[in-house]
Amino acid sequence: MTAAAATTVRSAATDGSDLLTAYRSTQSHCYDEFLGPDGKPRGQWLSWLSSMGAMPAGDRADRASRLDRRVRETGIAYDIYADPSKPSQRWHLDLTPIIFSASEWHWLERALTQRARLFDAVLNDIYGPQRLMRSGHLPPELVFSDNTYLRPCQHILPAAGPLQFYAADLARGIDGQWRVIDNHTETLAGLGFALANRVVHSHIAGDVFKQANAVRLANYFQALQGALTTHAGRTNARTALLTPGPHHADYFSHAYLARYLGYLLVEGSDLVTKGNQIYLKTLEGLKAIDLLIRCVDGRSVDPLELDPGGFEGPAGLIRVCRDHPRLVVNAPGTGLVQNRGFGAYLPSLAGELLGENLLLPDAPRWWLGDRSKRPQVLANLDHFVIRKAQEGTGRPGQAALGQDPRALTLAERQLLEREIALHGHKLVAEEKIGFSAAPVFDRNGLVPRPFAVRMFVARTADGYKAMPGGLAMSIDPDRAVALSAPDGHTRDVWILSDAEQAPHVSLWRPTVETARVERSQRVIQSRVADDLFWLGRYSERADWTMRVMRSALRRVTEDSGPAAGRRGARKCLELLLGSEAKITPGKDADLEIESLCAQLIGSSKAPRTLERTCNGLYRVANLARDRLSLEAWHTLSKLRPGDPWSKALAQASPGSMLDLLDEGLASLAAFNGLMHENMTRNFGWSFLDMGRRLERATNLSEAILGLFIPRPGEDEETSSLMLLLEIADSYITYRSRYRLDPMLPLVLDLLLLDEANPRSLAFQIAAFSRHMEGLPHASDGRGLAEDRRILLALLTSIRLANVEAMAAEQDGARLAKLMEEQLELLPDLSNAVARHYFNLIDDTPHRVQTRSQPRN
Amino acid sequence: MILDVSHKTLYRYSAPVVQSQHVVHMSPRALPRQTVRHHSLIVEPAPVMRYEGTDAFGNIMVILDIERPHKEFVLHARSTIDVTPARPMDWSASSPWDDIDNRILLPNNELDLDTIQYRCASGFTPPSPEIADYADPSFAAGRPVLEAAMNLTQRIYEDFTFDGTATDISTPIVQVVKQRRGVCQDFAHLALACLRVKRIPARYVSGYILTKPAPGQVKLQGTDASHAWISVWSPQAGWVDFDPTNGISVSDEHVTIALGRDYNDVSPISGILLGGGAHTVSVGVDVSPVS
Repeated sequence: MTAAAATTVRSAATDGSDLLTAYRSTQSHCYDEFLGPDGKPRGQWLSWLSSMGAMPAGDRADRASRLDRRVRETGIAYDIYADPSKPSQRWHLDLTPIIFSASEWHWLERALTQRARLFDAVLNDIYGPQRLMRSGHLPPELVFSDNTYLRPCQHILPAAGPLQFYAADLARGIDGQWRVIDNHTETLAGLGFALANRVVHSHIAGDVFKQANAVRLANYFQALQGALTTHAGRTNARTALLTPGPHHADYFSHAYLARYLGYLLVEGSDLVTKGNQIYLKTLEGLKAIDLLIRCVDGRSVDPLELDPGGFEGPAGLIRVCRDHPRLVVNAPGTGLVQNRGFGAYLPSLAGELLGENLLLPDAPRWWLGDRSKRPQVLANLDHFVIRKAQEGTGRPGQAALGQDPRALTLAERQLLEREIALHGHKLVAEEKIGFSAAPVFDRNGLVPRPFAVRMFVARTADGYKAMPGGLAMSIDPDRAVALSAPDGHTRDVWILSDAEQAPHVSLWRPTVETARVERSQRVIQSRVADDLFWLGRYSERADWTMRVMRSALRRVTEDSGPAAGRRGARKCLELLLGSEAKITPGKDADLEIESLCAQLIGSSKAPRTLERTCNGLYRVANLARDRLSLEAWHTLSKLRPGDPWSKALAQASPGSMLDLLDEGLASLAAFNGLMHENMTRNFGWSFLDMGRRLERATNLSEAILGLFIPRPGEDEETSSLMLLLEIADSYITYRSRYRLDPMLPLVLDLLLLDEANPRSLAFQIAAFSRHMEGLPHASDGRGLAEDRRILLALLTSIRLANVEAMAAEQDGARLAKLMEEQLELLPDLSNAVARHYFNLIDDTPHRVQTRSQPRN
Repeated sequence: MILDVSHKTLYRYSAPVVQSQHVVHMSPRALPRQTVRHHSLIVEPAPVMRYEGTDAFGNIMVILDIERPHKEFVLHARSTIDVTPARPMDWSASSPWDDIDNRILLPNNELDLDTIQYRCASGFTPPSPEIADYADPSFAAGRPVLEAAMNLTQRIYEDFTFDGTATDISTPIVQVVKQRRGVCQDFAHLALACLRVKRIPARYVSGYILTKPAPGQVKLQGTDASHAWISVWSPQAGWVDFDPTNGISVSDEHVTIALGRDYNDVSPISGILLGGGAHTVSVGVDVSPVS
């Protein structure tokens, strides 16, 4: 757009009124959040609308695409293991938020916190005196039929302190009334997603946000941190978020939140109970945990006393909670009250327990365990949707759609009726209440789109507090009765303030990218050490592989060097492909190199293709995600499976392949640079760097052995030396030192023995050795540990090597022996370190049970 | 009758167990017809933590945490129990099974939650059309609940074959119904599922049964075993026990250890190990009358 055109747009519609044309022409039968009954925008939208109206259309499109990119780089997605080419797995964040006025928010906050108080009281009764059930205020079978009611937690839960986290999914019906369509008391229900949406959105639309005087989230999270510290009962509490792990759809949310709040992210297998404590397995031994924030289902946290198949927490956790009931928030057992069957009883329970009227009711739903209600439901089945009463709906947007009787065949309908008769106590019948609509941009401008919103409540020092924000998701109102939004179209939620906003106090200080100022994570889980070690190995392997391909392709495209240079390049490619390398005898040397590159990029079955390496890199980076800065994570996004870069590389011509490899190498260099500059020099760093050193030593040794044994002719040797110096990024060092054409003894000195050259073999081994000296020893009292013994052998044989004598030998026997020795010992070193530090043996708890089978 | 029970379990592991934690239900609870005169539970190696308490169903539960590396684990429970014979009962004097819904009340007219909880399906006793179909012949409209329960007990005894190899812990009862084979736990679970489909409170009983050698034979040591049966509630008689494996109602030759919704609540030993490799287990149970 030219400057002149932009000015025209700007002057034409500074109040945004032209944006309304398409919106007004779209028929909608929902309650309209945006336009009032008079057809004019409601007050809370005016500031936003005028900001958008003043914004040139090109700027808006640009912001929308930057937002998409930010979402992708931040890695907000349902499932990182899912096929990235499937759009349904992606997370979309709309440029348009949902906006609440201050007065509506005050009412909603009061209503939501009332519900948190109510659920807290209900849980304390059920897990305590059970007065509500005995007196008939709550049907006992609703509770007893729900397997999230955890009997071993009876009398433990009431001692655990108030319900810490609560979230509610809200929808506004056609009558303009808000109703709760689902409750979440089990886990944090995707709080990290809401936070990430806000952080990403503020990057793109922070000016509009500020202009609208919307409320920031930081105060809420500070209050939450304060409450958790108080709950743990000590100032330097070691607090951890317990996640099911990277396979879980909400892992991003867990990792993001843990990073933001400065807490450890742990999995069940990282923890162990001993006596009446739980501990984290770290490189330095066991460290006691003071507070666990539970992001796994209650019944899966202790295979000893709860679900025998649930290994998402440490065996014995409930036994530890008997002595320390405040150890876990939300306490195991809280998931019970998110059962949809509770909805109908909440108004009377609010009166009974709080002496208050329930401000915000659930959507109309009937618990089908109530046999007196069943005939009415069966007689009017078409009015209802039949759904599970208890459903783990913590994942935003993943609520099941339920069975719509109108869509069933007669046979299916009879089956459903029989199911209601047999399993009624586990089912609810819901009426459709509809969803309100708010604007989003599509090709024609603003259009209304129905949505539901999840809001979050937490216990703080001042009682319950609602997060001034939320997670809104677009909904198909014809199919959904709950937050069912499998395609993940989300919107940020803004709460306007009638007061002046305090300056920005995000908990990431000073910027989003450099987190954790207050609490550095000194503790490294054994599992994380393993992941970081492999992160180092994969990033170095990717770097080496791309360097080899780049050097080889240069010899093809830049078409100047002698044919001998191509033989060396070919050799290096073949080494990486191993026995899987496919060679066509008699093929043109250039074509052969191109073919080998294509194989190495991904078409080959070889274990070290670039594709496999990048997959591995991305996978372990994700596993160690809470240790990486957001910026470091962003730099890796290019290497993610399915990224346009890797697709382009797979199809590129040799010339454009070179450009793409340069891009890939630049990304890796940025990643390595950020890790090098930003990562605390703790044990985690040591393992990352050890992985890198080990990989580089292996690749270098392999290349030297492949290129120079058996000794090639003079011409080929010279060009192979050039090639090696190029791949090992030591050409300039060599030239500045010797100003000579490459000669074997000088190059070997530089690349094998020179401990000052960060690319030399000796440097790798020495650096590895220095890291090992700093690691905890865990000595078994029988002299040198195996890993240290191997290291000593490696180091000694290099330091004693005589390059002059090696280069003088015609058969290269001594050089071959040295390299073979290195290549034999390096994998042993990797295994020994793994055995010593990564805790492989006792990582998997398992169950024993006796069954005896009598008959007299 | 006074019975001595010795219940010894020995685990052997192929590799050292670094840590083992166990929930143990091997200590008999006191009941109206059962007095525990003596009980001891010996554990080797010695646990660092031994918690003894009452579980959610009123049973005695012991939790052990052993942190010393070990390749053998022994649990030896010895009990002396005084069991009173059940009073002879007229099954037909109990309420119709389809009329107890509103009668599960405490003396103060509050709901009797402890009883009501046993009316709900549990993990091992899920309702299904097959279960409902199997149950139906025993539950004619208006039939007294204990008469129906006795009939169901005898039908299972007649229809099913005891077969220690046909099922394992994870075999669902629908499968048991299909193959008509199983062990005492399967038969107890099946009976419970049938009763609960009819909304009758019924609970799982874990315990021992006194066995007698064939005439002229000497009883061998360690040949008894732990046993499982059911207990059914009626407004008149409270809880009455039936043994579907033997097709009888229970008198004074059954010793109760624990009561629950199903096997999972009262499994004698269930443990989580770190390390250990493969394991073998040997169980020896002796039940003998004290003269």
